[in-house]
Amino acid sequence: MNAPKQGSGTEPAWVKAAANQSRLAFGLAVTELGRRDERVVAVGADTLDLIGLRGFIEHAPARVIDVGIAEQNAMGVAAGLATTGLRPFVCGYAPFITARSMEQIRNEVAYADQRVVIGAAASGVSLAVSGGTHHALEDLALMRSLPNMTVVVPADSHEAWHATLATDDIDGPAYIRLGGRVPEPPVTPVDAPFGLGKATCLAEGSDVAVIACGALVAPAVDAAKELAEQGIGARVLNMSTIKPLDEEAILAAAEETRGIVTAEEHHLTGGLGGAVAELLAVKRPTPMRMVGMPDEFAVVGPTNRIRARYGMSARHIVDACLDLLG
Amino acid sequence: MSNREALLRALREQALDIRRNTWRALHAAGSGHMGGSLSAADLLAALYFHHLNLRPEEPDWPERDRFVLSKGHANTALGAVLAQAGFVDDGFIDTFYAYESRFGMHPDIKVPGVEMCTGALGHGLSVGLGMALGSRLQGKDWRTVVMLGDGELQEGSNWEAAMAAAHLAPLRLTAILDYNKVQQSGHVAEMLGLEPLADKWRAFGWSVRECDGHDMEAIVDALDALPAAPDKPSLLIAHTVKGKGASFAEDTYLWHNNLVGDEVYEKAIAELGEPA
Repeated sequence: MNAPKQGSGTEPAWVKAAANQSRLAFGLAVTELGRRDERVVAVGADTLDLIGLRGFIEHAPARVIDVGIAEQNAMGVAAGLATTGLRPFVCGYAPFITARSMEQIRNEVAYADQRVVIGAAASGVSLAVSGGTHHALEDLALMRSLPNMTVVVPADSHEAWHATLATDDIDGPAYIRLGGRVPEPPVTPVDAPFGLGKATCLAEGSDVAVIACGALVAPAVDAAKELAEQGIGARVLNMSTIKPLDEEAILAAAEETRGIVTAEEHHLTGGLGGAVAELLAVKRPTPMRMVGMPDEFAVVGPTNRIRARYGMSARHIVDACLDLLG
Repeated sequence: MSNREALLRALREQALDIRRNTWRALHAAGSGHMGGSLSAADLLAALYFHHLNLRPEEPDWPERDRFVLSKGHANTALGAVLAQAGFVDDGFIDTFYAYESRFGMHPDIKVPGVEMCTGALGHGLSVGLGMALGSRLQGKDWRTVVMLGDGELQEGSNWEAAMAAAHLAPLRLTAILDYNKVQQSGHVAEMLGLEPLADKWRAFGWSVRECDGHDMEAIVDALDALPAAPDKPSLLIAHTVKGKGASFAEDTYLWHNNLVGDEVYEKAIAELGEPA
């Protein structure tokens, strides 16, 4: 894979400001879009610093609307703004902005097909010590089930920046899943082009394919290195758009390898693994293993220990590949 | 006859036509929500033929006032008034519940003149708040009116929106409550009472006015007096009767949503009298 460039003197200012956190990269990209386009509005729910919108406030305070801790109202307000031709970005906590305002998202955003972009920070178990009330391990299942919705899971802050800018080309609703305060190691180049609906190949291989998203992309790359040491060629696909799914890349991986392992920080039901399985079951039945959160609520603990405990690590991806290959 | 008397007479006729067309749609479908459509008829007539600045021939006119029917189950009355105003053809009324029709039980944003998909209760005021913010942010002077039902005020999301609207004021935002006192399973006061309702909204930072929602002169006076206060969002509490205009359907939850066969239809139409 291409090693991401770090610390070079020429990298853009947003890279350092994002501090390897996709939530901050999203806020910086929204601010950048807000500088370019007066129609851009940020709608928060007591989330100005969670998303990093202070720069936007300095630039255009009237276009940053925080309605307080009221996610349902935030989503309805965003939909109303969108009907008037403005371009709202809703900034929330993944566990609350999805489940709490699900009906508003379904009706006013998805069904009414309004151009509302939802930035959902603190997804997965990034708020691990907060406990199960604050984990978002079902958000992809919720968002993916909605017609008209685009669902994006950036692998790092670089991709979060580019993905957020890319929403400028979307006419309908979009959901961007973001991390929390746990730094996300960069796995994509600072200047990598981002194509909505396009997977990127981070490692070539023809024995097994690992299809990963978000926080599990870096472990997938590590797993591929470990498998290479054992003489196993693992292809790693960064599936940063869950919907629409890059069917071509998945079907090619199914055809060109012996099986597919999916990896995500999400329940095993309804997320990336579910999406890949739904496709392959119909179009090309393929041996699969799925790495992700089992059907239970996580205990409290540091994020990385929680990930490891429930099987979301490079080691588990390696094990899943070896199991698949028999 | 003065201009004002002529206006009031015309609005009363439009209201009667909304009721006639509501029953016509319900009869075509065989059932539907009559109670909350009939209670809102006079308010809708005053809004569409007097208060709101609209261009039916150009439904997406950017400078139009926005109207959101938060109590979306009164869609038969909305469809009726949209047809009477010319947003859709008269034949639209007969497509209620029809296969592939855009005229289902609840408003569809794809219908000309409909601003949002509503009917899941407690959503409309947030959407209207977003619209009012959109108007202000773009330096416009068009207004937003949201019609609320009383039962839906049991949804907490309304109160999120009410609190935020007062905090974010000044806004060109008005809510009109069709306070018909009856919801699906009984009287609102028995289900989950709202009183003291005006005091609650005042405490939330709104300017509140009340009127008889079937007295056209009172409705017009109240609408003409908007905004009730320059720095606050306005709530007009319109006291109405569920099922207004059909003696058998008034003030009872049994006619919130019911079957409409030939006999019911003919009786309801007869009670409305001869068209002018």
